[in-house]
Amino acid sequence: MRALALCFLAALALEPPAPAGDWRAVLDLAGGELRFGVRLERAGQQWKGELCNGTRCQPLSSVRQVGDSLVLEIADYAATIAAARRGDSLSGVYRNVGNRGPRTIPFRASRGRWPADPAPDRFLGRWDANYLGDWGTSPRVFELRNGPGGLEGTIISNSGDYGHFAGRIEGDSFSLAHFDGSFVYLLTGRLAGDTLRGVFHAGLRTQTSWVAVRSTGRPHLTPPTEVTRADTTEPFRFAFPDLNGRMVTERDPRFRGKVVLVDVFGTWCPTCHDAAPALARLYDKYHDRGLEIVGLAYEVTGDSAADGRQLRRYRDKFGLRFPILLAGVNDTEAAATTLPQLRGFTAFPTTIFLGRDGRVRRVHAGFYGPATGAQHGRLVGEYEREIERLLRE
Amino acid sequence: MRFLLALALAAPAALSAQTERDDYLAWLATAANSPFAAVAQQPIGAGLRLGPATADIPLAGLSEHRVIERGGAVSLEGPGGRALPRGRPVPLGRYTIAVAGAPGRSVLTVFGRGGERKRAQHYPHDESLVFLGTLAPPAKRTTVRVLAVDGVETEASEAGTVTVPVGGTRTRLRVLRIPTGDGEESELEIFFRDATNGEGTYPAGRFVALVPEAGGHYRLDFNRARNPFCAYSSAYPCPAPWRGNTIPAPVRAGERYLGGGLTAPPLEGEER
Repeated sequence: MRALALCFLAALALEPPAPAGDWRAVLDLAGGELRFGVRLERAGQQWKGELCNGTRCQPLSSVRQVGDSLVLEIADYAATIAAARRGDSLSGVYRNVGNRGPRTIPFRASRGRWPADPAPDRFLGRWDANYLGDWGTSPRVFELRNGPGGLEGTIISNSGDYGHFAGRIEGDSFSLAHFDGSFVYLLTGRLAGDTLRGVFHAGLRTQTSWVAVRSTGRPHLTPPTEVTRADTTEPFRFAFPDLNGRMVTERDPRFRGKVVLVDVFGTWCPTCHDAAPALARLYDKYHDRGLEIVGLAYEVTGDSAADGRQLRRYRDKFGLRFPILLAGVNDTEAAATTLPQLRGFTAFPTTIFLGRDGRVRRVHAGFYGPATGAQHGRLVGEYEREIERLLRE
Repeated sequence: MRFLLALALAAPAALSAQTERDDYLAWLATAANSPFAAVAQQPIGAGLRLGPATADIPLAGLSEHRVIERGGAVSLEGPGGRALPRGRPVPLGRYTIAVAGAPGRSVLTVFGRGGERKRAQHYPHDESLVFLGTLAPPAKRTTVRVLAVDGVETEASEAGTVTVPVGGTRTRLRVLRIPTGDGEESELEIFFRDATNGEGTYPAGRFVALVPEAGGHYRLDFNRARNPFCAYSSAYPCPAPWRGNTIPAPVRAGERYLGGGLTAPPLEGEER
């Protein structure tokens, strides 16, 4: 009897804490369901968790359990998921701030992981797409491939990619989803003959039709370097406070005679999160040979204390060892105003390559993240060749 | 082109009208940037002085501050000066301020914290005023500057028309796509008038969003109709009613208006 009681106690002790584990999560958009994953685990007295698109996960800032309810916070985007738990299902809403009312999208989840769903070859590869907007068409490229979590890919525009999408296949139809706490993107489509047709869903109810054909290899997008240009006649000037409030300019001794990459970014920008690890690696690889990097952050709140906290978190998350300066708030106009030598500034991130004389040699608007596969590798390779060329100057 | 009575046809909405309404009511009741709390809204133009009695926007208990826009970036000068990101409410003393609108045409809204907030009132849900149908393309693909629900001028695009059978007549309503801040997101909005205006609903008319459904269909649910923010506070300018968007029958669904003494403003493009 006593042995049985011990077994029972042991079983109780081994029972995972209530909400721990994987959840198959859904945002119910007006035009379809956006699937993603949530993973929760106990960390001492607290809970922690991750938000996943396929096999790519990012940490939630906090997880709180209040009675039968769970509150998942994504502080980077001032967003929360609040859900009531009934047995093995969660039901609630994803919500963040808005000027004209709350931005609310229904959320639900059940236990388990979404199955890995590989796509047949006829879907895979590079597709040249055109979005059919109210005013005409706008080009995009879809990269579709099979990864460890099944169908995955990304969408690329003139200024960069939309991050990692995880997908599924049903007959001739596919869907690919990306949810990072702020951007709510769902690409649904159907293959008929050699043409893909479908709808791109943004947020709860924005829907844009598109048509795509297999890429011929000819350029479909306008190369980002043609979008933003810069004054190359004089050294590139900047003057912004670092995270300790000390003013830093391009005349700082640490930049003198160095090749400098200026990374114009924001912690709110998912593509910037994709670029940060690549920049950290470039810094590690070339710093001893004369490369400097400086991050110019355009942040969300405009409150230097709050923005500084956010930036420290970002710096620590990616192990960035180069200086980060607080340049302004997150709109392209602000960046254009504070960096008057840039022309046609449109995209976060924008990477500016300065030669040893401090003048602009190249501007790259946007960034192809790891989700773009070959494009990512090619871009990082181009960055390396450009840096090596500038170091030799 | 033709809207059908929805009862049997409509699939369950992704966000039920009731959930949407509850969330909106909670926002109106509690948010620092609730339109019920608005005390002033003005274009920033060449700059605005806030605080003293002689300022552009006098605010009791606030020392002098200035809000200026340079090259599209808006900042606050004075004690605790800082950048003011678009679309993000920022505390200022016992007030909250927020910048909206396009660069070069930025608008500042000031919200107070005190005072009693009224509760928005709605008609009981009426399922016969939910329609499912298609959107006819616009005659001309063009953009137009209109005031959005929050009184802020916005560049909208003509998205087409829908036709609804209400009160025995069919009315064609113009639909505009209004950006919601994020580059990829927008709402399909209809600003309409009907026979209840001034007699139970806001005299200037109401906004209702057209909700896309699967298969190229759209849901028009008049239970979701909501007032322009000028109904909550006279700090907001009222959008001029959109020409043609008048339903000659009463639409007893959605938000009501219990204030009085207001007459309908002139139509879009007419002299006041």
